[in-house]
Amino acid sequence: MNAVHKFVLFPLGARRFALPSERVAELARPGHLHTFPHTTPLLAGVLVRRGHIVPVFDMAQAVMPRHAPGRKFYLIATRAVAGTTEWTAIPVTGECELATAEVRPPTGVLPDYVTGLLSMPGSEIVEVIDLEKLFSSSAAKAAEVRA
Amino acid sequence: MRLPRAEQRKHARHGEAVILFVVNGIVFAIAATAVDEIRNSNGLQPLAASPLPAARLAKVRHRLERDGRTYFVVDAAYHFHLLPMPLPRLLLLRDRPVAVMVERIDRMAEISAVLPLPRAFTGEERRWYRGLALLPGERHDVRVVPVVKPEAFLSDSDVDVLGRVLRGREVPA
Repeated sequence: MNAVHKFVLFPLGARRFALPSERVAELARPGHLHTFPHTTPLLAGVLVRRGHIVPVFDMAQAVMPRHAPGRKFYLIATRAVAGTTEWTAIPVTGECELATAEVRPPTGVLPDYVTGLLSMPGSEIVEVIDLEKLFSSSAAKAAEVRA
Repeated sequence: MRLPRAEQRKHARHGEAVILFVVNGIVFAIAATAVDEIRNSNGLQPLAASPLPAARLAKVRHRLERDGRTYFVVDAAYHFHLLPMPLPRLLLLRDRPVAVMVERIDRMAEISAVLPLPRAFTGEERRWYRGLALLPGERHDVRVVPVVKPEAFLSDSDVDVLGRVLRGREVPA
């Protein structure tokens, strides 16, 4: 029997993805995105939330680069980085859902940042994302392109 | 959930005067104590006829002779990988033979803290910036401004290489 956990499901265009609920702090309305020059792939800029500087990780550019839709909200999640925990804002395209679901292991040829699959009503399969792996694979791809 | 709030505060400094300058419409801050003079770009001379020995020095194309001193002039748009544009103002750095070409000076400001760059940023920006400052913005919003490291425009070894180029001596690539 597979494990049952709580997840936050969030939409990116026509698809939904999932993060473990304990990694999600809040869903925020669009705030002002502050941008400045940098060379880190997939970071769109920063938000200011409750006095914190929160980097904005444009996940859609990584998981659906050709169909990256317009984003409406920011999902604020925690991410382990360099031995500490940091907030990360992920632009999403609509409302999120808290769901309890059974996690199945990834099947087929899926990127390594997909750590599991959720079967949702209506035959919807939702990929559970590992943010750290997604970040590092995006950085590696960007490095390959630069090389 | 523990957040690195204590670490953010550890780096705080109070009441620091900064100069806000603009490059390609983007506002940056530099410590006022790091700048000796702000002037126009009259009197710039080409640095050297031959190509510079390192690609990282391509951002230096001019020099300025001032009070018997040579300043190596860094194109700030090139330094920050921005689109090229006319940069008519110069920031002459204090204690370094380096001048920075910028679009314009916005104003002086006082910042209460420099917050560390989030660790998610892993690229060249970690060398470029001391951190980020929050300034009052329009309405009730705040404005996030990167605070530059003056020494990141040209390192001591870069200055040494450029000095040799200027004197016509061979330098290692």
